[in-house]
Amino acid sequence: MSGLVEATAPVTRRVRAYFAPVNRTAGVPAVFDAAQLGGFALDAPPAPWIDLGWCSGFARKCATKVAALRTGAPAVAETQVRTEVEATVALEFESWGKLQMALAAGSQQMNLLVPTAGAAANGSGGVATAAVPLAAGSTAASLNVGAAASFNIGDLVAVDVDYTGQLGFVGSGVSGAYVASSAAVNGDINYVRRISLNVARVIAIANGALQLGGPLLAGAPSPGMQVSRLLGFVDREGGSWFQEWSALFVMEGEQSDRVIFHYPRLQAMQGAAESATTLAAPLERLRLTGAFRALPVKDANDGETVVCFRSYLPGAMRAV
Amino acid sequence: MQNAKDTFYTTLRDRLATVNPARTMVVRSVTRPAVLVEENELPSDAVPVDAFRLRWTSLKVDPDGALPLVTMVCEIRYATDGSSGNGGMDRGRLLAAMDAELASALSASPRSAVKTSYSTAPPLPLNTNVFWGEVTFNPAAVAGERLERVATLEVFCYQEAGEL
Repeated sequence: MSGLVEATAPVTRRVRAYFAPVNRTAGVPAVFDAAQLGGFALDAPPAPWIDLGWCSGFARKCATKVAALRTGAPAVAETQVRTEVEATVALEFESWGKLQMALAAGSQQMNLLVPTAGAAANGSGGVATAAVPLAAGSTAASLNVGAAASFNIGDLVAVDVDYTGQLGFVGSGVSGAYVASSAAVNGDINYVRRISLNVARVIAIANGALQLGGPLLAGAPSPGMQVSRLLGFVDREGGSWFQEWSALFVMEGEQSDRVIFHYPRLQAMQGAAESATTLAAPLERLRLTGAFRALPVKDANDGETVVCFRSYLPGAMRAV
Repeated sequence: MQNAKDTFYTTLRDRLATVNPARTMVVRSVTRPAVLVEENELPSDAVPVDAFRLRWTSLKVDPDGALPLVTMVCEIRYATDGSSGNGGMDRGRLLAAMDAELASALSASPRSAVKTSYSTAPPLPLNTNVFWGEVTFNPAAVAGERLERVATLEVFCYQEAGEL
C-alpha cells in the first residue's frame, strides 16, 4: 500500500494566528518565507513570529476588481486588467491578551498604569506613579528591580523607555503610538510605557528580580528602560492611530497538509468590537473581533505589488 | 475501514495509557491498558468497570471526491462502581477521572494518526490519516450503585485505492 495518493481537499478544524512587528519608522514588514519555514511546529513559531493563539470566524475576502478591456464594434472583451487590488481579513481571537487587544482595537491600545494618589480622573488612566529603574543583569524574562522595589507576584508590568521628547513612532519592540509633539502628550515621562506593548505578568520574585510569565516582546531591556505597574488595558473609539502588523495564519490539514496565509501588512479597518456567543443564558462568551485591510508589498522575485500570499504544503505522497 | 478502526483504537489506547498508566485490566490473563473494542472480544453480558469499551455504530461513505470519505461513529462506554474501600462513595470522582482521561486523550494534538494496517507484522503505515471530531459526553446514567457514561465521536478516513 504505497505510492501516490489522490489529492483531497484540505480538512482543517481551526486557524492559528501569528504576529510579527512592522518597522513603522523604516516601513519594513516582516516577511514569512514558506519555502524556508512553512513546516514550523505550531507551538514554536520561528522568530520574529509570535503566537496569537487560535482564532475562529476566519474570513478572507478578495476585493480586487477585474475589468475587461473591450475593442471593436460590437465591443468584445479582448483582455483583462486589474483595476484595483484589495483584500481584507476578519477573525475572532480566542484569547484577550495584550497583543490581541492591541491588534483588534482598531485604534490605539494603552496600558492602565497605576495612577498616583489623587490623580485627576481620565478615561485612559490618570497620571501614573513613578516608574522603577532597572538594574544591570535584566533579561527578557527577568527584571532586576532590587529588593526595595514594591512589586507583588501577579502584578502586570510595562517595561519601556522614558518619554523625553521623542517624536514619531514610539514603543519598544512594536510601535504603539505616533507622537506629533511633546505637548500633545503633555511631556508625560510615562507616555511610552502607557502605549507600550512590552508588557508581562510577574510570576515570581527572588533576590530583587521579577520573574516574568513570558519573555518581553522587545527582548532584554535596553539601558534607560523602567518598569511601571499596570492594572489592565484600555482602547478608544476614535483617534488617529492605526496599528500595523505582519500576519500569518496557518490552517493545519488533517492529512498532514498545510495552508498558510501571509499578510505582510495589515491595518485595522474597524473600531473595537466584540462578538458574544451564548454559553447557556445568561452566560455569554465575548471574543475580540478584528477586521483588517491588507496593504501592499513588492515581491522580490518579480517586483509585483501584492497584498497577500497563500501557500499550500501538500501532505506526503499526494498527487499534485 | 478496518484499518481506520484499528488505528483509532491503538491511538486511543496508547494515549489513555500515557494519561493514566495505572488504569489497566486483565483480558484473557493478559494485563493491558483498560481499553477494548467490544467486537474484537468474546461476546459477554458482563460489563467491565473502570475500563473504556469502544463500540462502532453507524457508517457513512461519501464517494464524491478524489478518495471516498468514510465517516464512522464510535461510542466509548465506561462505568464505575467506585472503590470498595470507600464503599462506592467515590464513584462520582472515579467517573469524573475517566471523563478527564478520555477528554485529554481525544483532544490532544494532533487529532489524527497515520492510518496503519495491522493485518501484517510489522504493521504497515498507509498513505492517509485517520482523524476525528469533537467528543460528545452523554449524561451519566445510574444503574443501582453503578455510574455509566457513553461518549460519542465521529472518526473519519479516506478509503485508499486497493484498501478493503
